[in-house]
Amino acid sequence: MSKVIQHGVRSTEPMLLVVQVGNAARSAFGNYSHSRRCDVSGRRFFSVTCALFGRGPPSRIEKKTVDIPGLERVTYADRMHYVPGLAKPVFPDWRRDWHDPHHYRGPKNEEMKLHKANPCYVFNQRTKILEGVRQALWLTKSKLIQGLPEHILSLAEDPANQIEDQGKRVQQAIRHSCFWDTTAIRPKRDRFCPVLLRDLLHLCGTLQLKHTSLSKSILAENYRVAALWNQESDVFQVRGLIGMLLNIMTPLPEVIQSGEVLATENHTLETFCPISPTIDLQSTYVYDQKNDTGFRDGYPYPHAHTLFFIETEDSAAKFKPEQLRAKMIMFAFGNALARAKSLYGEHPQVLEQPVVVQSIATDGRLFQFIVLQLNTTDLGPDTGVKNLIWMDQDQLLYDYAKCRPLIKKKAVTMAKH
Amino acid sequence: MAAPSRLPLLQFCSTRVFLLRCTQGFHGEPVVREPAYPPVIPSRTAKSKSAKKRREEDYYNQVRAASLVQDKLRLLTRLQRKKYVVYPQTFTLNADRWYQHFTKTVFLPGLPGKCSVGRQVVDKENGKVPPAAGGVDPTVLDENTFSELRSLVGNGILQENFYLKKRRPFLQKEQEHFVAPFLSNLVSSVTSSLAKYNPLLKMSSLDFNPEVSFYWMRGERTVPRGHRRGRVDPIRFQINDQPHCQIRVPEQLEEFLPLQESVSAEVPVVHFEPNRLPMFQRQYDNNIFIGSKVTDPCSYGHTQFHLVHDRFKRGRLIKGNLADQVEVRLRANAIASLFAWTGAQAMYQGFWSHEDLTRPFVSQAVVTDGQYFSFFCYQLNTLALTVQTDQDNPRKNICWGTESMRLYEQVKDGEVVGLNDDVLKLLVNFLLNKPQKM
Repeated sequence: MSKVIQHGVRSTEPMLLVVQVGNAARSAFGNYSHSRRCDVSGRRFFSVTCALFGRGPPSRIEKKTVDIPGLERVTYADRMHYVPGLAKPVFPDWRRDWHDPHHYRGPKNEEMKLHKANPCYVFNQRTKILEGVRQALWLTKSKLIQGLPEHILSLAEDPANQIEDQGKRVQQAIRHSCFWDTTAIRPKRDRFCPVLLRDLLHLCGTLQLKHTSLSKSILAENYRVAALWNQESDVFQVRGLIGMLLNIMTPLPEVIQSGEVLATENHTLETFCPISPTIDLQSTYVYDQKNDTGFRDGYPYPHAHTLFFIETEDSAAKFKPEQLRAKMIMFAFGNALARAKSLYGEHPQVLEQPVVVQSIATDGRLFQFIVLQLNTTDLGPDTGVKNLIWMDQDQLLYDYAKCRPLIKKKAVTMAKH
Repeated sequence: MAAPSRLPLLQFCSTRVFLLRCTQGFHGEPVVREPAYPPVIPSRTAKSKSAKKRREEDYYNQVRAASLVQDKLRLLTRLQRKKYVVYPQTFTLNADRWYQHFTKTVFLPGLPGKCSVGRQVVDKENGKVPPAAGGVDPTVLDENTFSELRSLVGNGILQENFYLKKRRPFLQKEQEHFVAPFLSNLVSSVTSSLAKYNPLLKMSSLDFNPEVSFYWMRGERTVPRGHRRGRVDPIRFQINDQPHCQIRVPEQLEEFLPLQESVSAEVPVVHFEPNRLPMFQRQYDNNIFIGSKVTDPCSYGHTQFHLVHDRFKRGRLIKGNLADQVEVRLRANAIASLFAWTGAQAMYQGFWSHEDLTRPFVSQAVVTDGQYFSFFCYQLNTLALTVQTDQDNPRKNICWGTESMRLYEQVKDGEVVGLNDDVLKLLVNFLLNKPQKM
């Protein structure tokens, strides 16, 4: 049996085990029960020499030594070898006096510096919550409005705001990303999705001729956001590494004025009993309480404009549209909350100047649009002013993009692009 | 004019008279007779030199006759054989001379007049600068736009190096971690800002991490051993390049020098075999690709941006006592990448080694490691690099290039110290390059 490096993180709660295996293997053996290893709770196997799907080493169930005060246990420690009938000696813990990374046992959860008594429910970039948008609305204390706000729609309809030859250029962008970008017949989705987004952003960049305010924005990639809030005695956090964020110098104007914002007080949040709103969120007792926009102070573009979510090679991050919309809401909310807290302080309050953040997600063909207006950071009680979310879901950019000729009954029905 | 005399039969029969009669000119128009038999040409399938020549000629005629560019490219790249893989970013020493030899390129230090001197930044009060020597009308960029660009660039640098909270990068991923996002931001923001001065940029297509590949033959070698020993084979090369980003345009850029003009500098000749560089051979798909397929309307190149990999960073070279190789490697990168790109563009228009270019193809490149920038221009004058086509070919490809210049000295406490305006001006000039008629 080859050596298995075990990093024994002894925790009292059953841990989700991460089996280090490639995507192909995971999909191929998805139904195989690697439950043998999963039966062994609290252990993670990082070895790459032995089979990852085999049965792990047998777990050692140690017998508890019963300590009766006044009674001395007769052990075989002096004999230096096992003697049947005598008790097993208990030696004091030996610690190596230098740090060996191959034999490192991490501290227990309770011993860690950031251990807290209450659990925290974390939403990260891989979380797919069960109830989707409904759960996200409850978590962010928001009201959903279908359809985008009118002023955005009017901006889009206005012909002065459109790119020259818009239809033709967009078709070219789609053809470039879907067909022309590679020497093979068709590029893979994780290649054509970012290419399509970048092409469309480049097209939008040419609008700077007419609207010079567009030059006051910058794209940031691979930044980490952290936002923390208390809701109904639970602590929630949004943490994650986001794809792309467009930052601007001046904040986005609020969509709805304060009068209508106060009217949202009457709206009740939708609950979905018996499912708890914390389902599918990662619950951890070891967490750092911080609100972080991902940027340092003094950043010339402090306000978030739009978040972009695209489909990447990471197969664990493949999202169904409902879960993707939930993720968009949560991260837009996280960004807005972090910025609101840095601007107005940690104290929960109703904001005089609401923070507006937009978000776009795509898988190359379907586009989802969200505009979130953060009206309040007072998320503890269920009542009070709610935040607002406008959503435009499942918009098809094009019906299909096919390049191989379709031959049905010996007749070619579609020409090759 | 003597009439043909009636000779007695005996005289007619003698051969000498017969010859005499035959050599006398016939009167009237010469009678053109259709050949009764097909021309006598060598066989196709025989094991002879003339048969091989005939097969080659048939192949070339087949390529010439192909109507679609895709068919031409397919015919030229169909056959797979072992070929030398040329890496634009390479660890080999003095690679720029070798690459110049493989691509028949002349390197001229400095930039052509059009790019360097022509355009200047002027105050609105002082008025326009008189046109440059090349006769090109300089586009005047106002102070406001230039200072906006300066702040854009400064903010881009600061964002990646100071404001964005990042974890420590993994080993040899520093360029990808810090510089690649800055370069993407720089290119997209500067291109969008300059679109109002250069209508070509409005119609351009910006690719990130495109594949650029080119396949060509140069020189010959005799096979030393094996069952094909003694036979003469062309030496094949392939470049598979991945620049950080590139701008492709639908219109071709203007040439820097006329096609027929000869340059005084010489192409360095290397008498060793390519594997002595060292360069290694492999056999796989022969690709000719500019970044997108032939059907894309943006089929001409404008500017490429290359990011120097961590392995070839300046610091590492200096530590390894290779300080003189820094500029050499930048030049080698530019020559190889730009030759591949312009060559592929030319092949997309239907030119190949036996149908040489009728107009030069021009592209530009910027090679950077985040702090140091160097600018290169390339003009492809000829694709006829095989031994057969190169015999009477006086044309050479030309590459102009600068030394590496620092964009900024360092980032200190949220400020960019020592932002160099000249580098920015050169970058702006590069991006403002457009054909004269626009």
